[in-house]
Amino acid sequence: MEPDVSIETSCMIRVAVLPIGSITIPLFRDYTSMLVRHYTVSLSSISSFYTEHQKSPFAHQPWDSGSLRFKFMVGGSPPSPWEDFQSNRKIFAVIGICHCPSSPDLHSVMDQFVTACKSYSSSVVQRCFAFCPGDSQLEDESFKGSNLILFPPADRQTQEFHLQTMMQDIAASLLMEFEKSVLQAESGGTILKTPLDSQASLSSEEVIKAKKRRLGRAQKTIGDYCLLAGSPVDANAHYSTSLELARLTGDFFWYAGAMEGSVCALLIDQMGQRDQVLDDEVKYRYNSVILHYRKSFIQDNAQRVSPLSFELEATLKLARYLCRYSWKELAKEVVDLLTAAADGAKSLIDASDRLILYIEIARLFGTLGYHRKAAFFSRQVAQLYLQQENRLAAISSMQVLAMTTKAYRVQSRASTDHALYQENGQNHADGGKAHHNWIVSLFESQWSSIQMVVLREILLSAVRGGDPLTAWSAAARLLRSYYPLITPAGQNGLASALSNASERLPSGTRCADPALPFIRLHSFPLHSSQQDIVKRNHGRDDWWAGAAPSGPFIYTPFSKGEANQSSKQELIWVVGEAVQVLVELANPCGFDLKVDSIYLSVHSGNFDAFPISVSLPPNSSKVIALAGIPTEVGSLKIPGCIVHCFGVITEHYFKDVDNLLVGAAQGLVLSDPFRCCGSPKLKNVTVPNISVVPPLPLFISRVVGSDGAIILYEGEIREVQISLANAGTVPIEQAHISLSGKNQDSIQSIAYEILKSSLPLKPGAEVRIPVTLKAWQLGLSDLDAAPGKNISGSTGRQLKDGSSPVLLIHYAGPLAYSGDASTNGSVPPGRRLVVPLNICVLQGLSLVKARLLSMEIPAHVGENHSKIQVETSSTEESPRTDRFMKIDPYRGSWGLRFLELELSNPTDVVFEIGVSVNMEDSNDEENPVYDYPKTRIDRDYTARVLIPLEHFKLPVLDGSFLVKESQMNGTISRRSSFSEKSSKAELNASIKNLISRIKVRWQSGRNNSGELNIKDAIQAALQSSMMDVLLPDPLTFGFRCGQNTLQDFAELNLDEESDIQGTRKGSLRAHDMTPIEVLVRNNTKEMIKVSLSITCRDIAGENCVEGDKATVLWAGVLSGVTMEVPPLKEYRHSFSLYFLVPGEYTLLAAAVIDDANEMLRARARAKSCDESIFCRGPPYHIRVDGTM
Amino acid sequence: MASTACFMIVSRNDIPIYEAEVGTAPKKEDAAHQHQFILHAALDIVQDLAWTTSAMFLKSIDRFNDLVVSVYVTAGHTRLMLLHDSRNDDGIKSFFQEVHELYIKILLNPLYLPGSRITSSHFDTKVRALARKYL
Repeated sequence: MEPDVSIETSCMIRVAVLPIGSITIPLFRDYTSMLVRHYTVSLSSISSFYTEHQKSPFAHQPWDSGSLRFKFMVGGSPPSPWEDFQSNRKIFAVIGICHCPSSPDLHSVMDQFVTACKSYSSSVVQRCFAFCPGDSQLEDESFKGSNLILFPPADRQTQEFHLQTMMQDIAASLLMEFEKSVLQAESGGTILKTPLDSQASLSSEEVIKAKKRRLGRAQKTIGDYCLLAGSPVDANAHYSTSLELARLTGDFFWYAGAMEGSVCALLIDQMGQRDQVLDDEVKYRYNSVILHYRKSFIQDNAQRVSPLSFELEATLKLARYLCRYSWKELAKEVVDLLTAAADGAKSLIDASDRLILYIEIARLFGTLGYHRKAAFFSRQVAQLYLQQENRLAAISSMQVLAMTTKAYRVQSRASTDHALYQENGQNHADGGKAHHNWIVSLFESQWSSIQMVVLREILLSAVRGGDPLTAWSAAARLLRSYYPLITPAGQNGLASALSNASERLPSGTRCADPALPFIRLHSFPLHSSQQDIVKRNHGRDDWWAGAAPSGPFIYTPFSKGEANQSSKQELIWVVGEAVQVLVELANPCGFDLKVDSIYLSVHSGNFDAFPISVSLPPNSSKVIALAGIPTEVGSLKIPGCIVHCFGVITEHYFKDVDNLLVGAAQGLVLSDPFRCCGSPKLKNVTVPNISVVPPLPLFISRVVGSDGAIILYEGEIREVQISLANAGTVPIEQAHISLSGKNQDSIQSIAYEILKSSLPLKPGAEVRIPVTLKAWQLGLSDLDAAPGKNISGSTGRQLKDGSSPVLLIHYAGPLAYSGDASTNGSVPPGRRLVVPLNICVLQGLSLVKARLLSMEIPAHVGENHSKIQVETSSTEESPRTDRFMKIDPYRGSWGLRFLELELSNPTDVVFEIGVSVNMEDSNDEENPVYDYPKTRIDRDYTARVLIPLEHFKLPVLDGSFLVKESQMNGTISRRSSFSEKSSKAELNASIKNLISRIKVRWQSGRNNSGELNIKDAIQAALQSSMMDVLLPDPLTFGFRCGQNTLQDFAELNLDEESDIQGTRKGSLRAHDMTPIEVLVRNNTKEMIKVSLSITCRDIAGENCVEGDKATVLWAGVLSGVTMEVPPLKEYRHSFSLYFLVPGEYTLLAAAVIDDANEMLRARARAKSCDESIFCRGPPYHIRVDGTM
Repeated sequence: MASTACFMIVSRNDIPIYEAEVGTAPKKEDAAHQHQFILHAALDIVQDLAWTTSAMFLKSIDRFNDLVVSVYVTAGHTRLMLLHDSRNDDGIKSFFQEVHELYIKILLNPLYLPGSRITSSHFDTKVRALARKYL
């Protein structure tokens, strides 16, 4: 049998193409490729070379449309025993190809050529083409007219033209030779025999038979020549005669041959045109051909020779014809033909015939698009090759098997378009069913057992054929894809096959097919909080805003489309800063796997990956960190890892393993390599888009002087220094500190201006920023959790809780990339440094309770009574300040209220308490602050601290409690209605104001100091009696002695110690008319009409002005004094007293307010509107001395 | 019963989801592979043939050497393929119909993912019993 047969084979002139002299194979192929292009030579082009020596037997030769067809047998072919039967099997021409530079001696070339031609006895034209002859060879005239044709060195086009001319010459010569042959055949000289005819001595009957048949056979031969000469009409005429004769003589074999020729002639004649009628005709005739070939089967010589191969060839020819055109409709017929042909394989005697048959069947099925069928027969071919037990056959087997890998889906990745494969994996997010279909399609045709067989056969043939790379690749595919189906012993065998193959490979060989281990992406560690990169929002002052998702919702139904987009996370890497990627390796096989080196594979070339070496025990997995440094700006993709294992370098794609895992999850793949290694299930990690940006500045932060946590007592205030250093290579031009996390209010101040003033911060520069911290109060749970003095325990807890505040420092380098002006307006990103302040709060001084105490100390009537009126603005008088704690005897302390704080110290250190009261509005620069002497509280003791609240009275009883604040703001005080509601709000504001002015500071040891948070306690204590504390009475009363007595008094007291003033000064003399003034001050902003009355009581509390035992005489009006006090003014009412008895007396002033307005009623907490408002002044003491 | 028979169910995605050697011939590893290769190759022919007829049972559609491939295509394009060496069309047809019923029962199982491997041992037992009965 012959390969590549078709119906047209009958009209092809065979030309043997032989290499002559020494010529390299590539060169020979190159020259041959030039030659084989001329497989048809049109008759019209050869007419100039053709000379008609005699009357041409080809009467109907189509000189204008016909052509001669050539079949180049490159390398030659052995003569066929069937040459007489089918003339086209003869080699009619021999072309030698010689490369002159490598074989300089043309004579020896010629000799070799002649020798080579001798084996082609049927050849009628011989030419030796010598390419690239040297000058001397060209000058050699001795070959003129011989068969040696020199192709002078020229460009390709010229050479091809030259070659074409030569081919036309050859074609013309052949045509003339065919004419001769036809004439010879017509003369009937030759006996045409086939191996089918019995070789034994012919019986007489057979001789007669043979004589009869001779004519028919001759006619068929002439027809063959006509076909070869490109004259189908002539051929057809001869074939018709031949068919008639053969039918008559029962020469079925030749009948079939003639029929084949006639079909060929028909097709050549109909050239290009094709219709149903022709198809049917061809089918009909060829079926008859097949039938007659079958008929010609003679049992006698079946052992030796059989027409079966012709039958099969005819079948293949018909199949090829049918599937050449409209194979879709005729597929079934073709399949039937090919199945029948395949059945014939068993009966074929020659193994190589079977090989050719299977090859042809496989090719035809391939043409049909039946790739699985093609693969099946290809594998049969490969098995036949393997049976031949030699290296070349093994290589052939390997190559044939390689062709089947596509159909069996075990192809090497080297032969697939991987980009396409990866593309498939991208768009699978359509959900449910589509997703499932996609998954299934990935594992389409998972015929694992036959896949394994194919791979094993490839491995076997590659080992036998000596191709270590293919062997390695096959073993790798086998091991990687089918390890669950292979016994541990088999796995070991494959592992040793891998290492054996790699020993024969040069080191550094790459293979497209990965072996073990399985590698999947574990995670991309995000930038540490120290190196966070934030997109810079150009044109905004707070450029970091907008980078983080805004809004309180994690999920918004309206942003669904976008969410998909953004699900592909983006990573930004910085040139020159090392990054890490975590990958997980798995070795599901039963041997120790040594990965010589593994590193990230980056195709964009802007990444330096650091290889590491890993060893994986059997059935184990391991998460490793692969590091590298981006080197250039641009985008970066990490499709997988490069692995050097079993002596070969392979690239492992993450995508493959991801697909595999998805398949395993769906039960479509044998097993999940990671799960069988005991690795937990991982979420599918998508490879993010990574972009590399130019170097950015890098802040490194450190809390000066404390490596661990900052340990503070509750309420402690401390200033810490945070050192920020620029560890990058780019100056920091912008920096901003913001707060985050819990307990943000514990950071009292940050020296922003120091950071601002230090900008731009050069690389390597450092700046220290003081931050004032105030420890927060421990909650109840904190106290429970950290009982006693378990400091270390509570420290750990604190850190874990993350209750500490966090400083967020957003900083960025210059706005434009340095040295690169073409960065189309994109701004380099900034960074965020997170400085967690590890504050550990210990329980400190605690407030047990706070309560309000009131105390009443009567005032003395004296000279300083005028200070009553300025008491509220007493701040101007600095001397008063240091006397705060002392009771002013002239004013007394009627209604003085103290805040008592009971503090306990549960810690094991000593605390010192200092109370300070900020007297005035916070905007006042010279705030007088009253500092009380420090109180010491020993460990495990409690102490009480008293805070007088006297100084908080407002100067004016106004409709608006906020009068002070309004003044402060420079606006005119508004007169709001004194409604309950507003009063409450205003009251609260005032309370807050008051409370915020009281500060209880503590100190412990040298370093720890802080402030007690007692606001709530004070508020609770003050809540009930707030109005009394805060608001002045509408009227204040004061007494003073008349001027004249004062003089005396001063003289009298000259001998007294001048510094002791308060106690002695208020003395009056008995039996003297003492003029006394009572001062009534209106603290409101409205005129108040009062009716004043004054009483004087003795030490026993008896009224001594009125009644029968009056001991005091008086002049003036003491009761029912009606007066109108203008707003914020005082009214003076004079009277005189005459004390009859020395001793202590008390003067009391009281007033009934007429026509009180709402405000006054509210102040007095009047229940009904017609109730009269009664104001009482504080008692004033008068000491009356006797006469001296 | 046929001396050699290999039964296989191939899902619409061309994945074998069930395979069983149901012949009486002594099992040979090589032969089993060869059977699968033949059935695999026959898929090409089924693919075209299935659309030319409305019948589910396609009869014997392919052969290699003396092994014949009979195919039954379900409405869901799942192919029940039988490789056999005997010609007993009626028996084969009955076999296919009964296995089809079994396959539908498997499909009705809500835990069975269509297109994945059939691992039910009950199914296997039943199929083998049917093979003994009809082939």
